[in-house]
Amino acid sequence: MKNYNPFVLMFYFLAVVIISAFSENPVLQISALLGGILFCAIVTKSSETAGNIGFYVPMFFIIAVTNPLFSHNGATPLFFLNGNPVTLEAFVYGGAIAVMAIGVMLWCKCYSEIMTTDKFLYIFGKTVPKLSLVLSMALKFIPMYKQQTRRVSRAQKAMGLYSSKSVTDKIRSHARVFMAMVSWSLENSIETSSSMKARGYGLKGRTNFALFKFGADDLILLAVIVILLGVTVFGIITGETRFYYYPRISTLKFSAAYIAFGFFSLLPFIIEAKEAIKWRYYVSKI
Amino acid sequence: MKKDILALSVIILIIAVIINGTNIQSVDEYYLTHIDDITENSETVFISIRCDTILDNLENLDESLRYDEYVPKDGVILPRTEYVLREGDTVFDILDRAVRYNRIQMEYQGSDQNSFGSVYIRGINYLYEFSCGELSGWMYKVDGEYPNYGCSKYKLKDGQEIEWVYTCDLGNDVGAKWLGGQGK
Repeated sequence: MKNYNPFVLMFYFLAVVIISAFSENPVLQISALLGGILFCAIVTKSSETAGNIGFYVPMFFIIAVTNPLFSHNGATPLFFLNGNPVTLEAFVYGGAIAVMAIGVMLWCKCYSEIMTTDKFLYIFGKTVPKLSLVLSMALKFIPMYKQQTRRVSRAQKAMGLYSSKSVTDKIRSHARVFMAMVSWSLENSIETSSSMKARGYGLKGRTNFALFKFGADDLILLAVIVILLGVTVFGIITGETRFYYYPRISTLKFSAAYIAFGFFSLLPFIIEAKEAIKWRYYVSKI
Repeated sequence: MKKDILALSVIILIIAVIINGTNIQSVDEYYLTHIDDITENSETVFISIRCDTILDNLENLDESLRYDEYVPKDGVILPRTEYVLREGDTVFDILDRAVRYNRIQMEYQGSDQNSFGSVYIRGINYLYEFSCGELSGWMYKVDGEYPNYGCSKYKLKDGQEIEWVYTCDLGNDVGAKWLGGQGK
């Protein structure tokens, strides 16, 4: 997946995220989530898996349970909270929001693994240099922040912080590291932008070099993406995939869009799996 | 460790306050089946809930609500009914009792949750504010007049008549004059 042309990849990621974020249909959302999980499992290191599960599973339940507390619409009340109903539909809708949110988060995680900064700048660097620099800085911000936090807290540990076993003290030490991080990140972003300016970034006549080509593989992938996306969008526009949660959960009608989007969200997994099988096969021949 | 215990007890205190402030009822408890009997000396008021205006604006209605169970064909959700007036009852108290007795769905925003200092009715019978266009919502009138304040601030007297109506045009289509409407 990494070796495809950035334009094709960007198009694909945007399409997946937009459809899964704005469609209310559970089938589309669940297939996007499944595709995201499988893709993430391949792309990220296996040592991170446990941490990711520990983050996303509680997140799922927090989002799912929050909705019924604030939304009281729905035809099936389970119990009443201060005179307002807490309904089954609100729980289901909360679950749907959670599936959507976590699906989008996973896809964004995969995006940051695949679409590195150089690819992003390759696409937008010439047309909108300022915006693309800001965006690429924002996108690499969280991983960078994590790394620096680890460094700062290690230094703090060496200075004797975190030695107390009390939870309150620990929280206070974390707060201290966090405050150091805020000023560090502000400084860092100014430094980055002035360093880019010093190199003449965004000036007229400045040339770029990139090793990306648009080959036959890219064309095939683009064609597959366009066909599958076309079928999906057609299903959405004609209303075949329309779905309501309130006041009563509506029934699902069959639509070709489900199959198309299922394949669409599984594309990266299929491509990666094919590569892995090929690799195994070649290795076995040696 | 002393600090931990202190922090923990503060958290427990907050949770206890929150739990103490919430009232959890089962479905049967909420829909009370008993209501005061009307006797000769009891003071009474009348209440009705209607949504006729939606019938004229069906094209704006949310597609998920286009069924007879949500918007009755004659627009009457609760026909004019007589209820006993208890001491100090407001329009909201009567509405709350009426919908519970008739098992009509209702959602409201408590008076402590908005800046009006009064209960705000968000939806009755699954018809919510903004369900039928962006100017739609529930309004009430007492004896044919629209009071310009919240329903939990209006204290009722014997024999008064409450009408809850759904508007699709900020009150103009149901004759609320104080919003600049012409009144039909």
